[in-house]
Amino acid sequence: MQQQSEAATQPGVLTPTVPWDIGERSQRQRILGAMASSTAEKTFAGTTIADIVGHASISRATFYKHFANKRECFDATVESFLSELWQAAAEVRSTDDLPAEAIRKAATAGLQRMAKKPAHAKLVLIEAPSVNPAIVRSYRDALIDVLERELNLERATNGADPGIAVGRAKVLLADFLAADRAKELPSLVPEIVYIALLPYVGQEAALQQAGLGA
Amino acid sequence: MIAPTDLELPEPGRDGGAPEGEVPADLRRWQLPRGRHGLPRELVDQSQRERLLASVIRVTAAKGYRASSVADILKEAGVGRETFYRHFKDKEDCFVAANDALLGDLESQVATAYEEPGAWPARVRQGLAAALDWLAAEPDLARVMMAEMGTVGPIASSRFRETFRRFTSVLDDSSEVVPKAREIPNLALIAGGAVFARVYEEVTLGNVEKLPQMLPQLTFELLLPYVGEEAAASERQAAEKEVTRKAGAQ
Repeated sequence: MQQQSEAATQPGVLTPTVPWDIGERSQRQRILGAMASSTAEKTFAGTTIADIVGHASISRATFYKHFANKRECFDATVESFLSELWQAAAEVRSTDDLPAEAIRKAATAGLQRMAKKPAHAKLVLIEAPSVNPAIVRSYRDALIDVLERELNLERATNGADPGIAVGRAKVLLADFLAADRAKELPSLVPEIVYIALLPYVGQEAALQQAGLGA
Repeated sequence: MIAPTDLELPEPGRDGGAPEGEVPADLRRWQLPRGRHGLPRELVDQSQRERLLASVIRVTAAKGYRASSVADILKEAGVGRETFYRHFKDKEDCFVAANDALLGDLESQVATAYEEPGAWPARVRQGLAAALDWLAAEPDLARVMMAEMGTVGPIASSRFRETFRRFTSVLDDSSEVVPKAREIPNLALIAGGAVFARVYEEVTLGNVEKLPQMLPQLTFELLLPYVGEEAAASERQAAEKEVTRKAGAQ
């Protein structure tokens, strides 16, 4: 599992004892990775603390040093992977890009991450909607906010709902993940561009700008 | 936790007998002829199976899937443990079978509405209306099917995905899909995903009864990728009329 970039998003610990700090961080990352693998195997409900500590090769006491319970650990895993995706998308952003290009780049970066970490992607896209609907709503709002405030997209008069667009993307990606087709996720970039643009520019322009049906 | 009393086996004589109490209205579809003396074995078996299916759904709705035990299911169905294991391997097997039966019922309702004569977008709207009505009529079932699905395990969710695929592939088969839309890979998932994601969200939020009112928006979103704005919007209008008409009739 590659989790190195998640460490950068953790709040800094203000102690000069670097080795200790690194140990703590990687331990936490290991626990999050274990939560993702176990959930991918047995669902969140089926996952026990014993599964997590087994996967992470840590003691139960160590687990409880980081998290009060299974749910807290789950939420931390969701947040950590979402911020990883967010960061991956931010890294490829350029302010001169037209919306379609900006979405294409962000989607490419995000889907590549998901393809590399299918267990994390499953946790966020398949498990989180039932375990923690509030997190899902908040990232949906954040996505819409980026489309409307940063990319300055205006809602089309057709009345299509951007919240539903996020739902379409979620179902599409979840379907691929559930079918163990995570490796193919990067091929879905045109669909994601189309889905994201649909509520803003309408069917014709969305197809065209996504490079579909030209 | 399983209370010790739940582990007691029902008396053998209860097998095939009528369950105590009324079957709630939401499960009446399973109130098939019950086993009586003189009925052929197959019928008794059939009826016991149906009762176990209804029972696993009721128990799951009340306690959640993981907290439910086979003992709870037996108690609710008034059926013996031996009978249970004659029909099902374990709790999951029973739950998956119950879900298959429910999905089958939902699917046949949708198919009936969709197969009515008429223009394709109107038939899609009617199929969708049937699905939303079915879910709204039985909120417990909708909740068990959707919200509990994730807690059951890989088999249940793959069944669910297959069913969703079947629903949407019907749409893809239509000759009325505009040629440009054919260029969209995974078109059915993108179109149907709009409905699925919203319905799932409302069900988990406990808003099942509001689903039929969402018919206009969902009709539009479902049809949009297939037929474009104009045709989708005109079907949305038809759906609005239908919702108003139904509200007036109540």
